[in-house]
Amino acid sequence: MSPIKRLFPEPGRRPLRQQLAITLTAILSLSILVAVLLLNLLFGWQAREQIDQRAAFFMDAMLSVRAYTSKKVNPIIAPLNEGTGLFRPEAVPSYSAQTVAGYLKDKEAYREYSYREAALNPTNLRDKADSFETGIIENFRRDPSLTRQSGSKSTPLGVVHYVAQPIKVTKESCLVCHSTPDRAPKSQLLAYGDSSGFGWKLNEIVGTQIVTVPQQAVFAAKDRSLLATALLMVASFAVVGVITNMVLSQLILKPMREISRKAEEASVTPATVNFEERERRDEIGLLARSFERMKQSLSISMQMLKDRKGQG
Amino acid sequence: MRRWLPLLAVLVTTACGGQQSSDVSLCGSAGRLRVGLVGAAEGRAQSAAGVLPDQDQFRLRELLMVASRCEVQLEPVLSPEQARLRLRSGDWDLAFLPPGLTAVALEQSGRYGLVRQLGRRSNAKSQLLVRADSSLKTRADLRGRRLGLLPRGSLTGFYLPLFNLHGLRFSEVHYALSYADLRTMLDEGKVDVIAWDGSLPADKARYRVVHEDSHLIPLGALALSQSLLQSDHQPFLRQLDQNVTQLPPSLGYASGVIPEPYALKELRGIVAAVEGWTLPQAGQPYTVYGAKGDAETAAGGGR
Repeated sequence: MSPIKRLFPEPGRRPLRQQLAITLTAILSLSILVAVLLLNLLFGWQAREQIDQRAAFFMDAMLSVRAYTSKKVNPIIAPLNEGTGLFRPEAVPSYSAQTVAGYLKDKEAYREYSYREAALNPTNLRDKADSFETGIIENFRRDPSLTRQSGSKSTPLGVVHYVAQPIKVTKESCLVCHSTPDRAPKSQLLAYGDSSGFGWKLNEIVGTQIVTVPQQAVFAAKDRSLLATALLMVASFAVVGVITNMVLSQLILKPMREISRKAEEASVTPATVNFEERERRDEIGLLARSFERMKQSLSISMQMLKDRKGQG
Repeated sequence: MRRWLPLLAVLVTTACGGQQSSDVSLCGSAGRLRVGLVGAAEGRAQSAAGVLPDQDQFRLRELLMVASRCEVQLEPVLSPEQARLRLRSGDWDLAFLPPGLTAVALEQSGRYGLVRQLGRRSNAKSQLLVRADSSLKTRADLRGRRLGLLPRGSLTGFYLPLFNLHGLRFSEVHYALSYADLRTMLDEGKVDVIAWDGSLPADKARYRVVHEDSHLIPLGALALSQSLLQSDHQPFLRQLDQNVTQLPPSLGYASGVIPEPYALKELRGIVAAVEGWTLPQAGQPYTVYGAKGDAETAAGGGR
């Protein structure tokens, strides 16, 4: 006999209580399984949404820093870079955005976040695009309508979620430092040389801003939520199962066992047995009334047999 | 696939090397490892690729990431002045430095310590070079002339030349990022005398050495910030030592060799002394003057 058949034999082969318990367990287990699978999809979608929101917020914050530097700081600092003194990178939006991102990383909560401005031909060699970043920049250059790329990136330290936006030369003022060395401030040439960060053109996509946010922690939190939900469901379904079983026992099984005991007694001494359950309005009452009628018929039949014996 | 080969090598070495690898990451205060890369030699690189070719940079970054188990921000720097500023403000947790900047790093109130030797032995000497057809014969003849230097931070191209020119006034001081650029400036008549490294080839028919400093130029070094030195940094160094073949050969990383601070003692004195002076601005007249302190005795042989 197969295990399923052994667990679910034909009706009537086990006590009702056991049959009910097994059936309830099977239904509730299946419900939990389906619910967990659906919740896993839902929680996963929510986790991805959360990661996207975090990345978008981080990116917007950095863009704001860039805008502030470009509008408010650069006009003050840039003239100081014209001479041969020390080059002040504070005038460069990219520098300030990456510096602010660095300060954010000092906080424990942002330790695994990162912001980078990578370019194919940067002034500061720290910003040189690696092969992954070069691929992203090339995608932006091939398809100018592409404004955003995102996905997962595997690093030696784990998987991270990235969001990338193109860096496009939209202002003529950018070309002061990035067109030809003879236009660039002397202090910049002394700091970074005259071989990198030049040759940029107006409206050209020269790099990408990449935000990476940790996804391991978010997905771990999702898994913990899913596990907690599943355990709560198991616990509540177990309570529901026990209560259902108790109610069924009280409403059906116990009265049936009582009727059965009385029916057995009535088969020997029908006069001493009283089916009080016949007053009930449910199926148990119906059964009790049937047994009551059977008991009366049995009493009459036994009385008739006695009378016939007395006449004989 | 090629870019992952070094990482595979590191993983295999870690697994099969029989040495215990650490699960502890070696990160800087910002939760990442900020690495400065100037290289082992001074004034050689003329361009970004000269510091370290792109592929070597990416490979070095990944190797450092695997060894430190930390996000790595690698910053190759062409100008020793930029590197000096980074060291002074503690912007780097780890740095591959040439000799002059190694001395500068040690002068930062114990902020950095040296853990490995970089570079190869050469007959590097700080020299002052003029054109062969120049009338300048001695250091005294340089008075009122135009001087070409490497940026502040270079030992052979800045600190030693200034130390050896103490007391002289120059009409202008100009800077270039490499010795090759300085030589071009000399050829073009933009300057009358330039700082030069004796280990570089110079055509004797075209140039003449007016002065050579006698100090032996020590090798560069890999410096670690104090916070990393106080952490368990040995597993990190062990990883680098075991994978020395994966490191760019131009760095000259010497596996297991700890630099001898004594070799730098005299030159540190000179660097500290010159750093205490008012230093030349590009394009401006300048009188080399300032207290020499203990460094004078040290430099005696070089004069």
